Amino acid sequence: MRYAPAILLGRVVRKLARWRKPGGGSAIPGLVVNRIAPGFLPRTLNSFPGGLVIVTGSSGKSTTTKMLVAALRAHGMVVFTNQSTANISQGLTSALLEQASLSGHIAGDIAVLEMDEGHGALISGSLTPRVVALTNVMVDQIDRFHDSDMVAAMLAKIAARATGTVVINADDQYLTALAARLDGTSAIARYGVSAEVLAANPRGLGYSATTTSRLDEGEGMLLTSVHGRRATVSIAGVGYPIGLPARGTHYAVDALTALSTARAALGGRFDPVLAIGAISAIPPVFGRGEIVTVRGRQVEFVLVQNPASFQLNVDSLEPGTDQILIAIGSDVRDPSYFWPVNTSSLGRVRIASGSKAQDIALQLVYDDVVVDRIESDLGLALDEFLALPEPLTGLKTIIFSADSMRRTRAHLGLVTNKEEQE
Amino acid sequence: MTRPLSIVSLLPELLGTNGDAANARVLAQRARWAGVEAAVVEVRSSADLPDQVDAVIVGSGSDADLVRARDILATMTTELRTWATAGVPILLVGTGWELLSWGIELGDGTVVEGLGILAGRAVPMPARATDDIVVTSRHGRLIGFENHSRSYVGAEASPLGQVLYGTGNGAGSEGLVMGSVVGTHLHGPVLARNPGLADHLLRTALVRIGHEYRPGGHSSAADDMAKAARNQVAVRLGLPTE
Repeated sequence: MRYAPAILLGRVVRKLARWRKPGGGSAIPGLVVNRIAPGFLPRTLNSFPGGLVIVTGSSGKSTTTKMLVAALRAHGMVVFTNQSTANISQGLTSALLEQASLSGHIAGDIAVLEMDEGHGALISGSLTPRVVALTNVMVDQIDRFHDSDMVAAMLAKIAARATGTVVINADDQYLTALAARLDGTSAIARYGVSAEVLAANPRGLGYSATTTSRLDEGEGMLLTSVHGRRATVSIAGVGYPIGLPARGTHYAVDALTALSTARAALGGRFDPVLAIGAISAIPPVFGRGEIVTVRGRQVEFVLVQNPASFQLNVDSLEPGTDQILIAIGSDVRDPSYFWPVNTSSLGRVRIASGSKAQDIALQLVYDDVVVDRIESDLGLALDEFLALPEPLTGLKTIIFSADSMRRTRAHLGLVTNKEEQE
Repeated sequence: MTRPLSIVSLLPELLGTNGDAANARVLAQRARWAGVEAAVVEVRSSADLPDQVDAVIVGSGSDADLVRARDILATMTTELRTWATAGVPILLVGTGWELLSWGIELGDGTVVEGLGILAGRAVPMPARATDDIVVTSRHGRLIGFENHSRSYVGAEASPLGQVLYGTGNGAGSEGLVMGSVVGTHLHGPVLARNPGLADHLLRTALVRIGHEYRPGGHSSAADDMAKAARNQVAVRLGLPTE
């Protein structure tokens, strides 16, 4: 009952925060509890009978975590996970508070946490994860994590805490090097794409550095083909078809990461058919290839979070898509961010919008993309864009940064992800 | 022109962290808009060097790649010196600039020797500079973004300009100009956002081979966007707009 007072206080604070701001304020109780009982978070996370699984890396964490949780649940496991992307320690503590008994325990077999590499490196010292899954190293969030080495160093710190297995993307040179430097406490499980899949992505998969050779059958799980929302994975020499929540090789790689991690977490209990069935049944993730009906029109939302995901998303748009709106908001502070991306295949963009409308339009015109209109007012831009007649090719497509996604959803009165209410 | 303008992008992966290599594409596009054929040649080793070089772009990279990038650049020291002497415009951004200097002092006291083509050296700063940067220069007021952890000493005699906002070289100036060589901390699309500087480099490249340069009609639409983007930053920083 050591943490009972802290838990009770945290709950009172949560009530107060919700009363002040309905639906919001979830990080504050965590802040309070972490201050008065710093041991609560690690102790609770380390107490699950099936251990703790951490999913981290530059990109693909959210999707991978969702897929992994679905795969584990399909095996009958009760999983605690951070549903929202409130992946900082306060958010985590607050999430734990929702479910913890006064003794500080949570009903559940296993915990699966998505962690931001920066915050993960900060709190991982007190954690003893059984499995750590590393997605990739990309140049991400330029203002915070300047370069790939810094990101790789943070991931190495988290990986070093693993007691069972470190799951790595064998196509990522930084992760391969990182795995080679681990002290052998934990096993290494590898996954990767086939030469054919890599060849189908002429600009690569977006990693800061890609290994020169592909994983062999027998060295780990393989992604052997991707066609739209269908892919094939090879597990122990057997090929399985799998459905994806959206088009694109990166989603297929996320699924592969989830499968490898599920196998590491479940050991002999892992059943590929159960896991693949669960992953294939996942509905599209908000804002990442999500298709919604707004004002009677089908619209595809594409979220770009870093240059690599921007490039992959541009490359995986249906060729000839003739109605595109791009909105980049104030979350992209440095316009250099997107310049590594070659946007020329977009051909024509109807409206460039968001507070960085001028900057993104500038990049587009240098890539020979025709920009019909620049409209910084996102509400106006959306209204006009939706009012256009149905496109001749592809869906109406809105490509946005996270900030513009929030504003778009708010403007269109769409439900938002949980974390966006906070 | 009988042959396309040849714009070399040196080590586009190793030295292209912030999209700096995109400046080659910006120069080529502005040349095309002016009716001049242009090609970007990506050079990863001296074997890739084309016969004709009309402009060179070197971007910024990760500190862990400093020695690797330097060792490749060192195999092209003679060419770099020849181009600089011959008045070929060379734009150097961030570590690409530092590597052509006398050397780079790292935080742990070690030094990465530079190619020694440019005067000055890079020395550690107490804190990383990550912010907008505004510089007055003879190519107009330059607005960009800087993200570096070293200042540059020894360029005081011929900087690119004076810092109005931001850090730059430290001590009030930003960048370095040596003949047709320009070094700067303004990373990413510095030439797209500051067409005055882009046109200076392009004009230098074309005049060298006996051509005039008059910006094409397409440029003015792009330059209006660039101006709007610069003014947006200026307003945010409380500076007068253009």
